[in-house]
Amino acid sequence: MHITEGFLPPLHAAAWTAVSLPFVAVSVYRVNRLMREKPEIKLLLAASGAFAFVISALKLPSITGSCSHATGTGLGAILFGPSVMALLGTIVLAFQTLLLAHGGITTLGANVFSMAIVGPWVAYAVLRGAQGLRAPLAFSVFLAAMLGDWATYLTTAGQLALAFPDPTSGIAGSFLKFASVFAPTQLPLAVIEGLLTVVIVNFLREYSSEELRNLRFLPKTLVSEARL
Amino acid sequence: MKARNSWLLALAVAFILASVLVGSRREGAEFAGTDGQAMAAVATLNPDYQPWFDFIWEPPPEVASGLFALQAALGAGVLGYYLGFKRGQRQGQRKRPDAGD
Repeated sequence: MHITEGFLPPLHAAAWTAVSLPFVAVSVYRVNRLMREKPEIKLLLAASGAFAFVISALKLPSITGSCSHATGTGLGAILFGPSVMALLGTIVLAFQTLLLAHGGITTLGANVFSMAIVGPWVAYAVLRGAQGLRAPLAFSVFLAAMLGDWATYLTTAGQLALAFPDPTSGIAGSFLKFASVFAPTQLPLAVIEGLLTVVIVNFLREYSSEELRNLRFLPKTLVSEARL
Repeated sequence: MKARNSWLLALAVAFILASVLVGSRREGAEFAGTDGQAMAAVATLNPDYQPWFDFIWEPPPEVASGLFALQAALGAGVLGYYLGFKRGQRQGQRKRPDAGD
């Protein structure tokens, strides 16, 4: 989902940066307040960021013979609420841009929007929705992480389609073209991200019930079922 | 929890292995990154487009793989520290059932 440096026209690059900036600003404020008010969850916050760090570094192969990477932002969104992930995702993307030449400074705003904003919000909404429908918790978490991952890649496809409409079929045609580049690889990869997110949540419910109880954003079901 | 997580992890690993096996049987499978493929699609949609900004710094390929490994290691290190710390904490509590905390 990394749009490469210079691959968005200046106007688009500026617009996405402007859209993402307020989310990141709110995120900085939220993270600061969270660390001040509940210093005991700092370590869990770091672990959630680390999860995104490691999982987005791994280029995983897919049955289509191409490879791509998961995003890892669903876990933090589920635990801390979606707005916290904007900052953590930005840190991950900035690292990859500056040190790995993966992504770009001009496209950072657009990449932050897809991976650190849309993905986490979709994951959080799906978790809430699935829990509202009384789906089993593990399944809800799996679904949330998986759909958050897909949403990130669909957003990237949309951003590229807006910038590069197809000469004949327009933005819609271009969107389908970009989505079909990502989809076959990302559909199975997101399943792996979903599985790993469930593994971590299972662990947290077993060993970190005190921290989970401290989190305001967390759906009650996650905690009340937790064994002590 | 433990049994369930073992199954989930085994499933994830099986998924990855099956992906490599199935994927490499395909014609012309090089496991190219989809990000690169998407940028190639840009070139077909708009052949005149020229990226207007280039990377400030690009690591040499050998260094790049090391930096990717560093990113994974940093993430795995912090995550592993947290998971181990929480497990150890729980074990410590079990050993001192009378400790009031």
